Amino acid sequence: MRIAPDHSGERILDVDMTPMIDVVFLLIVFFMATAQFAKLTKADIDLPKEQGETERAAVNSSVVINVTESGELIVDGDAFSMDRVVAMVRVELRNTDGDPTALDLLIRADRAASASAVNNLASRLVEAGVRSWRLGTAPGTGNGGDE
Amino acid sequence: MLRLQLTSMIDVIFLLLIFFMVTTTLSSPESRLSTGLQTERDESARTADFEPQIVEAKLVDGAPGFVLGQRVFRDRQSLIAVLEELPKEAGVFVRVSGDVRIEWVAAALQACEDAGFERVNYVPAK
Repeated sequence: MRIAPDHSGERILDVDMTPMIDVVFLLIVFFMATAQFAKLTKADIDLPKEQGETERAAVNSSVVINVTESGELIVDGDAFSMDRVVAMVRVELRNTDGDPTALDLLIRADRAASASAVNNLASRLVEAGVRSWRLGTAPGTGNGGDE
Repeated sequence: MLRLQLTSMIDVIFLLLIFFMVTTTLSSPESRLSTGLQTERDESARTADFEPQIVEAKLVDGAPGFVLGQRVFRDRQSLIAVLEELPKEAGVFVRVSGDVRIEWVAAALQACEDAGFERVNYVPAK
C-alpha cells in the first residue's frame, strides 16, 4: 500500500489490487479443478439410504469404486473390468508399506444392485490383500429391512 | 481524498459466491459404513475364544430378510433389538448372499452399527 500526495497536495490511498486478484483467480481455478475431480470419482449412483457411522472421519478415499445397478464397475468416470480394478487396487496396496488397513477404499454401490456383483468384487479384493473397505451411503431413512 | 478501486474485488467475490452456491447444490452429502473384509475360508479358520456373531442377509422363502442363528428377521428394528443383547467383543460377521439387493446389505451393516458393534466384517457368501 502506498500513500502519496497528489498534485493538489491531498493524500491518496493507492491500493494495488492486482496481486490479490491474481491469487483469487488462482483459488477459483483450484476449486474448480478439484470439483471436477470429485465429480469424476463419484458416478451418478443411487446409494443405499442409511445414516452411516456415528463417528465420521472427513477423509477422501484414495480409491473409489462405483458399482452401478447393472453391476458395472466405474472408476474415475470410466467402466473398468474386474481384472483392471483388482490390478489398480494392488498398485495402491503397494503404496501402503505393507499395511492393508491403510488403504482407504470406498465402494459406492447402487442400492438396487445385486449383492452378487459386490460379492465378486469383495472376493477378488480379499485375494488381492484388502482387509477393509467402506460402503457409501446417503443419509436418510433406510429402505432395506423396512419393507 | 481516498480512492479505492473495489470493482474488481467485488466482481471476484461475487464469482466465488456463485461458484460455491452452485457446487453446494450439486454435491449431495454422503456417509459411510466401514467394515472389515473377509472370505468364508478366513472366517472358518478363526480359532478365537470368542466366536463372532453371524448375521446373514439373504432371500428366505423368496423374500429378503436377516438371519441370526435360527431366527429370521424381516425388519431391522427387531434385528437391532436382538443384536443389542448379544456380546460384542468378538464382533459380527455379515454374510451376504448374492441374491439380495445392496440396500439390504447396507441395512444389515447399519443394524450392526446401531446395535453397538465396533468390529463389523463383510463376508461374501459362496
